[in-house]
Amino acid sequence: MSGRSGWKPELVPSLAWCVYLFLLLPSFIVIPLSFSDSTEYVFPPKTYSLRLYSDFLFTSNWVEVSLRSLQVALIAATIAMVIAVPGAYVLARTEFPGKALLKTILLSPILVPIVVIALGLYLYFSLLRVSGTIGSVVLAHTVYVVPFVIITISAGINQLDENLERVTTIMGASRFRILWSVVLPQLKPSLISAALFAFLMSFDEVVLSWFVTTASTMTLPVKMYSSIQWESSPVLAAVSTILTVLSVFVCLLVAWVTGGKARSGSGN
Amino acid sequence: MSERSLDRSYAAFLTPVCLVMAAGFVVPLLFIFHQSAFVPTVSLDGFASLADSALFFKVFVNTFEISFSTSIVSILLGYPVALHVSRMPPRRRSYYLILVLLPFWTSILVKSYAFVIVLGDSGILNSVLEFLGLPQGEFIFNRIGVLVGMTNFFIPFVVFPVLANLLTHDQNLVRAAQIMGASRMRIFWQITLPLSLPGILASFVLTFVLSLGFFVTPALLGGRHDMMLANLIDFYTRETLDWQAAAAIAVVLLATTALLLAMLRRVRGAQALI
Repeated sequence: MSGRSGWKPELVPSLAWCVYLFLLLPSFIVIPLSFSDSTEYVFPPKTYSLRLYSDFLFTSNWVEVSLRSLQVALIAATIAMVIAVPGAYVLARTEFPGKALLKTILLSPILVPIVVIALGLYLYFSLLRVSGTIGSVVLAHTVYVVPFVIITISAGINQLDENLERVTTIMGASRFRILWSVVLPQLKPSLISAALFAFLMSFDEVVLSWFVTTASTMTLPVKMYSSIQWESSPVLAAVSTILTVLSVFVCLLVAWVTGGKARSGSGN
Repeated sequence: MSERSLDRSYAAFLTPVCLVMAAGFVVPLLFIFHQSAFVPTVSLDGFASLADSALFFKVFVNTFEISFSTSIVSILLGYPVALHVSRMPPRRRSYYLILVLLPFWTSILVKSYAFVIVLGDSGILNSVLEFLGLPQGEFIFNRIGVLVGMTNFFIPFVVFPVLANLLTHDQNLVRAAQIMGASRMRIFWQITLPLSLPGILASFVLTFVLSLGFFVTPALLGGRHDMMLANLIDFYTRETLDWQAAAAIAVVLLATTALLLAMLRRVRGAQALI
């Protein structure tokens, strides 16, 4: 075995680079295609144009559904931040009976199969007769992003020095004042990345939306999903490029805000 | 760890999130149980007809096969990446992590659409094969398409836990082995790999559990007759409007997930997965 150590140093990096390529290839292959002039897929395109982008703007209802996704994502991310940040603070800073159970319930939407939650919401919204309202889509998305906000914010709170809060308590500040003027200012990087990722998750969410939206509340991913499934129209290359650019933008912004320590909500 | 009850302002901080999650998550889950066994009357007919259904059995087996192969391939591909990143100096590590985080945060629809273009019958891969004079193949709307799409999705879910584990290893062990003359191969097989088994196990369970409920990739890249449980739930909900069957499958899926996670907790002690 030791005789083969000559090639070993190259093995791990070359395997790793193959995987990086495999991971990145799909997102970047759509970019040149989106500037293609032809209605058929030719790679690389023979002539370039912005035709697919004008199709996106002026055909079907792509713009309408994109604006709706934007609206839903902005509202859902805002609500999730407003309710989950104080919740995460309490979970990080205090002990009380039933805390472990409560934490498990609040975080479990990450591990419960999304399709199960989607079916539950579908049945629930039909019974309440609220199917096809923007509010129902917003509630579904809020539930979906809250656990990720809690995880990101808890990780941020764990980095803080609790003594600062103790001092302000002794000086007589209320809990709300401590959260608002002591904790939140220190948490800025976590708050910004949580909000950006919550927005992106909601904007890209497809399974819950597939179950809970109707024709009048259709979001961009739902339209994309059915378009890939039924017609695979070339305008999808333009839509995909827009979504890829959005993801790159959000990732770089988060990396910049957190000083390169960006971590997803997944994994450990 | 004295357990105090919550003071009033802490309770006020916690209440909104609890109410929203109760209304949007807990109650809808209860609806599934209700729909599966209590509508129109209390009965287990929904589950009984599942047990008799050849379609359900086939899809259930498919789901396990696909999830298992996805997890194995994702680990085989994700491990070298984690190893590569772990050997970087900390500053460069974050640049390489962006290469993994970026696909992680890219819409699954973009990736699925890209694979339709790459793997399709007249797609890029087949054009290349044709150009090279090689026989063309069917890479999509079958098991291959699903595995490519799902592995691509799940590799980051392997990289992060395994990397976290690799970074905890004591480098003195490696140094000691080097001094004693062990080859890099031997150091890997006898030190690094055994020490990283907990990370591998954690990522296996995570990937497996999340694949069990996967919906988008099998629907867009899989065969029409190679469904997974999530697609069957969709089929019963929207096509045949058999909500009882859909809810019964959802209960089975949920129970399987819970069982696997409980087993993982056993293995890793009380440590939380996330």
